[in-house]
Amino acid sequence: MTGFKSVFFQEWVILKHNSTWWAILGLLLVLTVLAALNGSARTNQMAEMGAGLNQSEMQTQAALKSAVARWEANPEGDPPSVASPGALGLSVLSHYTVLPPTPLAALSIGQTDVQPTYYKVTAHPALTFLNEAEIQNPLNVLAGSFDVAFVIVFLLPIFIVALTFDLMSKEKERGVLSLVLAHGVSKTAFIIAKGAARALLIFTLLLLVGLAAVALTEPDLGSGAMWVRFGLWFLVVSLYAFFWFALALFVNSLNKPSVTNGVILANLWLVFVVVIPALVNVAATTLYPAPSRVELTTEMREATEIADQESAESREAFFFDHPEMVGGDANADQFFLQVLATDSAVERAIEPLMEEFDAQAQRRQDVVDLLQYVSPAIMAQNALNAVSGTGTERFTDFVDQVLTFHENWRGFFTGRIVKGSRMSAAEFDEIPAYNYRSLATSSVLRSTLSPATGLAIFVLILGVWSARRYARYPAV
Amino acid sequence: MILTVARKEFREIIRDGRIKWSALILAVMLVAALASAGQRFVDISAERESAQEVVNAQFAAQGEKNPHAAAHYGIYAFKPVTPLSFFDTGVGSYTGVSIWLEAHNQNDAEGEPARDATAIARFGELTAAFTLQMLLPLLVILLAFPSFAGEREAGTLRQVLSMQVAPVQLLFGKALGAAGALSVFIGPILLLGLIGLVVSPGGLGYLGHGVVLVIVYVIYALIFLFLTLAVSANVKSAQAALVVMVGFWAVSSFVLPRAASDVSRLLYPTPTAVSFQANIDEAMQSGIDGVSPDTVVQQRQKQTLELYKVETVEELPINFQGIIFDLQEKLGNEVFDKYYGELYAIFDQQTGLHQAFSIGSPRMATQLASMELSGTSLNQHLEFTNQAERYRRDLIEGMNQDITFNSGAGQSDYRADSALWASIEPFEYQPASLGALLTRLGPSFMVMFLWLALSIVAGVLAVRKVKVTLG
Repeated sequence: MTGFKSVFFQEWVILKHNSTWWAILGLLLVLTVLAALNGSARTNQMAEMGAGLNQSEMQTQAALKSAVARWEANPEGDPPSVASPGALGLSVLSHYTVLPPTPLAALSIGQTDVQPTYYKVTAHPALTFLNEAEIQNPLNVLAGSFDVAFVIVFLLPIFIVALTFDLMSKEKERGVLSLVLAHGVSKTAFIIAKGAARALLIFTLLLLVGLAAVALTEPDLGSGAMWVRFGLWFLVVSLYAFFWFALALFVNSLNKPSVTNGVILANLWLVFVVVIPALVNVAATTLYPAPSRVELTTEMREATEIADQESAESREAFFFDHPEMVGGDANADQFFLQVLATDSAVERAIEPLMEEFDAQAQRRQDVVDLLQYVSPAIMAQNALNAVSGTGTERFTDFVDQVLTFHENWRGFFTGRIVKGSRMSAAEFDEIPAYNYRSLATSSVLRSTLSPATGLAIFVLILGVWSARRYARYPAV
Repeated sequence: MILTVARKEFREIIRDGRIKWSALILAVMLVAALASAGQRFVDISAERESAQEVVNAQFAAQGEKNPHAAAHYGIYAFKPVTPLSFFDTGVGSYTGVSIWLEAHNQNDAEGEPARDATAIARFGELTAAFTLQMLLPLLVILLAFPSFAGEREAGTLRQVLSMQVAPVQLLFGKALGAAGALSVFIGPILLLGLIGLVVSPGGLGYLGHGVVLVIVYVIYALIFLFLTLAVSANVKSAQAALVVMVGFWAVSSFVLPRAASDVSRLLYPTPTAVSFQANIDEAMQSGIDGVSPDTVVQQRQKQTLELYKVETVEELPINFQGIIFDLQEKLGNEVFDKYYGELYAIFDQQTGLHQAFSIGSPRMATQLASMELSGTSLNQHLEFTNQAERYRRDLIEGMNQDITFNSGAGQSDYRADSALWASIEPFEYQPASLGALLTRLGPSFMVMFLWLALSIVAGVLAVRKVKVTLG
């Protein structure tokens, strides 16, 4: 490794005085800071909304409980209508189940703009609330978000390529390479020194950028869990940057003019970041298409109509008069029983279709999980989503928890509706509560480290391959 | 002279093969996207049409029923697709495909295809429009970046200019040559696409849209062509031309759309679904102008009794319940008009911001135009929801009028028969005409022509300067 030190330091001096470098690095820093601020505005907004969601629900519940308690203290006439479990479960009460943001949530919006971060659970079938969505301008959703993950996955490669596409070709074109080798510097030392100087600069900057983003977005800088996530984040970002770095080194080893290197790398960027993700998406949706939502709609309708016709009389009378004008409790009890019957008839009718939806979604996810290893951009995006708690796995786990809670909530009310009992004030405290359980750490690690390993393998292969090519790299 | 330059440029590009790979990627993606678009159109249009027929038949086959129960049962409106909906899916993946039209409620469209997508769909969907918007500029850049800068490095630029070739002729000759090479790769595919459009069911009516789309994308390619030539003539090395143009492409195509979406959210925030619903519920209960619906009903009852000169509703020759339903419906509609009106006004402001950002991004202007022509813009989705909502209001009004005039006072066991259901005209979405779309596209077209004019002027200025520095 003769000459490593001198080349390395020489490179430092050159880079220090290269204004293009500083411009590009500065731009990266500015973009990341803007993206971080934007992400944290989003996350704060979501956290704020999530915190306020159940306030009015809890107030309603408390008011109803005291109304029942007042009647219990002085029972005159019929119990108040709010003591009817049907009115409570099927019309008045609901509970918001919220998916709280994790540390680093601001760094990757992920799917949180299309997937709900809360559900309004009622005693009706799950499909009635699973389809609710946050209000969004579809044009904005289509464009996507300017978050730190976007800067890393899409823009960082362009910066790295712009800084490294002529790493060796330029030295050769200017005749520097033969001159340096004539001075007894080994070829390997020259390449490694040049690469190392640039790599060191880029990684220092990435660390700075990451720390800046965390400082701007994280409310609690003393949290250990946050720093663990940050460690994972930095690992993924470094590996991804290393990949593009290694790719540029490899393309340089092809011994082509700088301009050709630039063209090749621009094409590779397109292939990894745009073309392969689009093709993987098509592959997944073509192999395992979702059943038709249109068919779901018509099936539901068919089932509803059949169930309704079975009880046309009582239901129609109710619709005609409306609940607020219902004469007696007996009438209402009958109605709520009928609602339960319709709900479960509809649920039974569309259950096979719903299972098909879930099964196909799972298969699609499996295809994407497997094919992500074809493109470092997909791996990086998936890993960054997982680190920020905005990945698929955490969302699926959240939906499972919501469904379990829904079972409990629904069971609580339907049991009482079927028995025809009335709620006592004490029973209000037994209404099931929702507590979100965080996704297991092992799961977070797995969904971060598997793609990270894929990235590492890419880097390794490119590194070894380039090293072998550089051994035969002609100096002139 | 222009033709000589063009011929030389054309031959060089074809022989050089520097765009071989990117042209191949573009061609393969374009063919795959167009083929899958055709397939999806055939499948999905059949599905939507038959679904609309099924719900229409379900509505007609209700048997004897109280009209208000039928109003609660309601009907669904399915958004029809056109052959071009799959050329550019636009916002289609993020908007619902069907709306439940029922009594008392204005419902949102449901069944967004994005619900069934994996996270990877966010990288972009493989459509012909996406491929053209993303890959075409890069292909043009790779094609044209060495035009002047490469010749300057090789020293041939000086020779050419010394041979009495006017710089402007050189510019247009090179542009023509590059455009010729490009059309060899892309032309046949676009032509096939147009033929596919014509032969697809109902596609002939969209030929005009298709031709305008082709023009839009040709202009898009020309903007990048002249910009690249201008930069190539301006900078010292081909390498610098490449870096500058790829940088511009990345920022204008990838960064600006996302920036627009986030800035529009910050400047014009949409209400949360929870607060939106809470506001509607509140207004429904207490009335939009502070007069509660109950009060309105009582006033109307008084007026009606006076009109018919009777004392009680039972003495009326009509069923007052029908009038109550109708009043409730109209009061509800006012509430929906207010809150949905406010929401759509915010959407408009946000879309306006995207338009403003498109001044800096030829891709955004092209995308807005492309979605509009393909019938998958936000505008057209809202038109569909508005038409469905008008249909809902007419339908419910018809049901309530039937109760008012065809049933006796206070008769709650009134039944209408299938003649009433059959008298309802089925819902049919009327899309805006091509002429209306073109008018609406004024701003986007203006941005595109402005870019084209600017890039040509920049090219001309740049080549003029070449002469001066060499002279």
